[in-house]
Amino acid sequence: CSMGSDDSYNFVFKVVLIGESGVGKSNLLSRFTKNEFAHDSRTTIGVEFSTRTVQIDNLTIKAQIWDTAGLERYRAITSAYYRGAVGALLVYDISKHLTYESAERWLKELYDHADPHIVVMLVGNKSDLDTLRTVPTDEARDFAEKKGLMFMETSALGSTNVEAAFSEVLTAIHKKVASREVTRGSISAVTLSSPLGPSSEAQEERKGCCRS
Amino acid sequence: YLCFNSQIPQHPPLDPRLRRTYPKDTKPKFNNIKTKKASSFHEFARSTNDAWDIDDEEDEEFLGTFNPAVSIPPGLHTTSSVQNQVATRFDFLSVSSKENELKQQSLPVRPIIPLVARISDQNASGAPPMTVREKSRLDKFRQLLASPNTDLEELRKHSWSGIPREVRPITWRLLSGYLPANKERRELVLKRKREEYFRFIEQYYHSRTDEHYKDTYRQIHIDIPRTNPLIPLFQQPAVQEIFERILFIWAIRHPASGYVQGINDLVTPFFVVFLSEFVTEDMENFDVAALPLETQRNIEADSFWCMSKLLDGIQDNYTFAQPGIQNKVKALEELVSRIDEDIHNHFKRYEVEYLQFAFRWMNNLLMRELPLRCTIRLWDTYQAEAEGFSRFHLYVCAAFLIKWRKEILSMVDFQGLLMLLQNLPTIHWGNEEVGLLLAEAYRLKYMFADAPSHYKR
Repeated sequence: CSMGSDDSYNFVFKVVLIGESGVGKSNLLSRFTKNEFAHDSRTTIGVEFSTRTVQIDNLTIKAQIWDTAGLERYRAITSAYYRGAVGALLVYDISKHLTYESAERWLKELYDHADPHIVVMLVGNKSDLDTLRTVPTDEARDFAEKKGLMFMETSALGSTNVEAAFSEVLTAIHKKVASREVTRGSISAVTLSSPLGPSSEAQEERKGCCRS
Repeated sequence: YLCFNSQIPQHPPLDPRLRRTYPKDTKPKFNNIKTKKASSFHEFARSTNDAWDIDDEEDEEFLGTFNPAVSIPPGLHTTSSVQNQVATRFDFLSVSSKENELKQQSLPVRPIIPLVARISDQNASGAPPMTVREKSRLDKFRQLLASPNTDLEELRKHSWSGIPREVRPITWRLLSGYLPANKERRELVLKRKREEYFRFIEQYYHSRTDEHYKDTYRQIHIDIPRTNPLIPLFQQPAVQEIFERILFIWAIRHPASGYVQGINDLVTPFFVVFLSEFVTEDMENFDVAALPLETQRNIEADSFWCMSKLLDGIQDNYTFAQPGIQNKVKALEELVSRIDEDIHNHFKRYEVEYLQFAFRWMNNLLMRELPLRCTIRLWDTYQAEAEGFSRFHLYVCAAFLIKWRKEILSMVDFQGLLMLLQNLPTIHWGNEEVGLLLAEAYRLKYMFADAPSHYKR
């Protein structure tokens, strides 16, 4: 998988970031889409949106990433944003055990609202805070395996594994789409599997929109 | 141009019927948009990028050696240039976009407004002396405030088009209903309410570590440093503790909603305005701990009570499932479908839902979309309106959306639209832009508030 700045694309994959408040979801997003990290980012309100185009297996994939607020109160509203999502990063903070304990609750909410075939990765963020770690890697990996989730530890601050996490998720989504495990019908809202062609709105895509 | 805000639209005194109106079968005319799509699209992409870059530069400047003396180039203070800019802005609403584009292109890059002005309104140091008109406005306020019984109706009327910064703290206390109109009673009420607030602190603040409240406190605690992250003032421990106490006490006294992200932003304008009574310049770097303790406490208590009054009017924004916000976003959609079918259909076509961008507009009262100085100016009017925060805000949001009509219509995919709507380039906005926004909102309210069926298609 490599970055692409092509102004047209084969697929749009909607991916949502979920998890407790303060685990670093917005910074994972900005690291992936803009290669930026803000020590001083403001709280996310409702949902925020960003996008990046990548190349996978010679195909151009536009990742449309939704960053959701982690606060309980918003959930009634954010549930609408799961619609059409084909991937999810369930993020916790490796230095705050509470944020890991709530993973099961987030998972339930995700499966309540999203496509049952959605690709999910459990992401232990802030791996740079290893000295403050309260969630052992093995424990999280076992949990992920038991739940059938992909797993990775990342650091948005140190730019560790962020690219890899998104790439693996996008690749897995693409595999599912290619094998038609995810039917077109259930994901058509966002997965515009429109081949490169003259009539596609992809023609009008803004060149170089993803800052890379 | 900062000193001329009072010359820009006089509202509400003007009868909106005298202003340009949209009969039910017409819409704002923006010629050439469709035919010029390709070029204006790229132009927009460029100009938007510039706006973002300027934002970055400004932040860098801010983090580096910040110079409060940096001010607006003198050319922009002249009357003719002001009128010219105002005309341009009105053109945006009424004349063809082509003409408007030309004018915008001919304007030099707009000056970067210094951060002092950004936070504490624009008449801070470096601003030109008051105009005669401003002086007489201020005198009028002083006269109203000095009367044994302040005429609140008059005060609202004058506040609608902006409150002079010298009298804003006392005017806000009166308009919010925190202070009584009777001048003699004010001191006593202030004393009593401030004491009452600090009794709450004594009684309840220790409970933040209780099982029942520790989640609330934890959330507040992690949100405070993220509330105004780029302004050093808000990184001071003394200030963060003030915010924590205000929010925690409010949350536990309002269990139906409790603390919801977004409420933290709403403390900021009150805190800044009440602090401004003691700080003349460079508020961003002012050391609050250097103020006498009693002064700090008074600012805290006043901020708490005024914020409480504000939230009383919009509490359903923050109760379970946030019905107030859901309803207001629906109302915005309904309103826009009537006043600007092109934008509405454009959103439909590219599957943009109003909730995806307007949720934040409602939840944070546009504070995330506007510089702080603009929010303070906006709140002058919201507090002068009968239901400013709960109803008038809807019309402001509609006017705000339509303001970006050209940019929206030239964006021809979902991603582009969402990125635009979440990063609207308002970094250079000041009183002038807010004044125009409010004038348009007032017109919309007048036309659509109480007799909506007449305009229904």
